[in-house]
Formats: sequence, structure tokens, C-alpha cells
Amino acid sequence: MRIEKCYFCSTNVYPGHGTMFVRNDAKCFRFCSSKCHKNFKMKRNPRKVRWTKAFRRANGKEMVVDSVFEFEKRRNVPVRYDRELVATTLKAMERVAEIRSKREKAFWKNRMSGNAAKNARDAALSIEKHIELVQPRSSTKSSLSTSTIEEKEKIREKIKVRAAGKKAMALQQLKSANQSKRSNKQSRLIPAEGGGMGMSLD
Amino acid sequence: MIGLKGVLNVIDNTGALRVECINVLKVKTRLKSTGTATVGDEIVCVVNKARPIPANEVIKNPSSSTNIQKIRKGDVRRAVVVRVKKTVQRPDGSVVRFDDNAAVLLNNKGEMLGTRIVGPVAAELRKSKGGAAGAGGRWGKILMLAPKVV
Repeated sequence: MRIEKCYFCSTNVYPGHGTMFVRNDAKCFRFCSSKCHKNFKMKRNPRKVRWTKAFRRANGKEMVVDSVFEFEKRRNVPVRYDRELVATTLKAMERVAEIRSKREKAFWKNRMSGNAAKNARDAALSIEKHIELVQPRSSTKSSLSTSTIEEKEKIREKIKVRAAGKKAMALQQLKSANQSKRSNKQSRLIPAEGGGMGMSLD
Repeated sequence: MIGLKGVLNVIDNTGALRVECINVLKVKTRLKSTGTATVGDEIVCVVNKARPIPANEVIKNPSSSTNIQKIRKGDVRRAVVVRVKKTVQRPDGSVVRFDDNAAVLLNNKGEMLGTRIVGPVAAELRKSKGGAAGAGGRWGKILMLAPKVV
């Protein structure tokens, strides 16, 4: 018995699950579910369907180059049963999974690192753009009638200045983040250049 | 799921290309019998489409050709189903589906007419018993000749 990978979404296909489709050139396609099978029949490309592993890998959403992937591979070499070997393998599997989850977490963190500054900049930009929509915080119905137009303008100007300041800060943050990213090309967290993720831990 | 009027591709070198099922050789009244043919079942079929036989070949050497009897359109033959589009459940729980319905032509003794097979055949052919001893069941020859058994 083997645990196969789904052709479409790359999840595990356990024995007794899913279907296998055999093309006339004898190539076998295994599917984890009817959903994947149907998508295949619709001739969809798994690299273009957002929920598949193939898409996520192709678009830098997940780790691609890493030594932890070396362990989970198809090996067509029969191994004689050995109790010791099985025990050590099971132990190793646990450890590998642990390391993998750690690295994935680090990868995710790195991927999301620029987002806070970006969001701040976007918020500041939208305030700048639609300043006429911004109401002073105290402008409930009663105070709205009493406050003069002049006062409103004043408050708006205040908000504008603050937003501009925030924007400048965000921009600077983004810039510095980019710079640090560029300088850290050898970082173990950036898989793009290949071979970046060595085997050494921590 | 091959029944009356079911159309199959022929994947041997008999010269037939497409056949239509006219009878499934099964006891259809038996309990749990479906009456439709699946992989490993024998059917009677009529040749719908055949490769044209060159006229000069027939005149020149009628005896030396590999198939003594050339298959023509309209011939009624027996055949065994080797691939089906309908999903087949295997004893280990896996489900297998093929691209098309395909068959291999047989003579009246139940032996293969052709000498070659192109394309994969289903492993369900191994299940059927009978035939020569040690030949891998009744369809041992087909399994031997097929480029791949899936």
C-alpha cells in the first residue's frame, strides 16, 4: 500500500480513497476526491487554480526549496523489514515534521513582514484622497449643528497633516524593509535563489 | 458497462477499428448479474469500421498474410472487453477509470484473433479463470501482449 499524491491538489490519497484515471497512453492520474477529478475533467490547470498546492508553490505562497522535502519522496527500492529501522524512522518523521512546521512558520512570517507598513501607507493614502469624507470624531448630531464650517475645516486640516505624517513614516518603513530584504539575500528564509535553506537548524 | 449497441474501440491488429456490441455473453437472469459487460467479459459484436484491405494484397499472397481471415465491416465476431470508461472498484478499495471502452477480437474458440495489442489493458483480466494452465487465466495471452497492464 502506498499513500499517493493527488494529481490536482497534491494532498495525500490514502488507500481506498479517490479514483484513478488511466489515460490511453497508460499514464495514471490519481485524484483525492470527485472535486479534483471534476476539475481535471474540465481541463483546468492546477497551477492556475488558487486552492491547489501547485498554485501556491508556483506563486511563492509556500516553501519550495528546502531539505525537509527530501525525506518525503517516492522510493522504488524495497527495504527488508527491520524493527529498529522502523522505530528510528518513526522518530525521525516526528522530528522532520517539527522542523518543517518551524521553517514554514518562519517562511510565512517573512512573507507577511512588509504588510503592516503597506497597510498603514494605504490607509494614509486613502485618507489623503478622500479627506472630504472624514468627519471629526465629536461630530454627533447635536454638535454637528453647532460646529461651524470653519471649525470642521480646521479639524480636517489636522487629520490631513497627521495622515501625511503617517504616510511618510510608512513609506520610510517600506523602503528600509526592502533594503534589508535586498541586503539579506543570503537569508535562509528566502527560498527564491535556491539552496538558501541549508540543513542546519536554528 | 457495455450493453446492446455499446460501441468499443478495437486495440489489436486484426484490422477492425470500431465494433458495436450485439450481445453480452452472460446469464442475465442470475441473481446479482447486471447483464452489462465490464472488463474481462465476453461479448458478441459487429464490426462497424475496419481498416481497408488493399486489393493487391489479397490477389498477390492471400496465404502469407498474418491474419488468414481479414476483418471486414459487417463481420460478426466475439470479443473481450479490456478497458471500460465506467469506474471499476477493485478488491483493495481503489477505483479505476479508463479513457475509453476497448475490446480485443476473438475467434469462436475464444482465442485472440490478432497478434499484437496497443495501449493499456485493465488488470481485471487476471481474475477470469480457465484457459491453458499457467497462462494467467483465460486472458493470459492478452495480458502478455499488452504493453501495460494497469
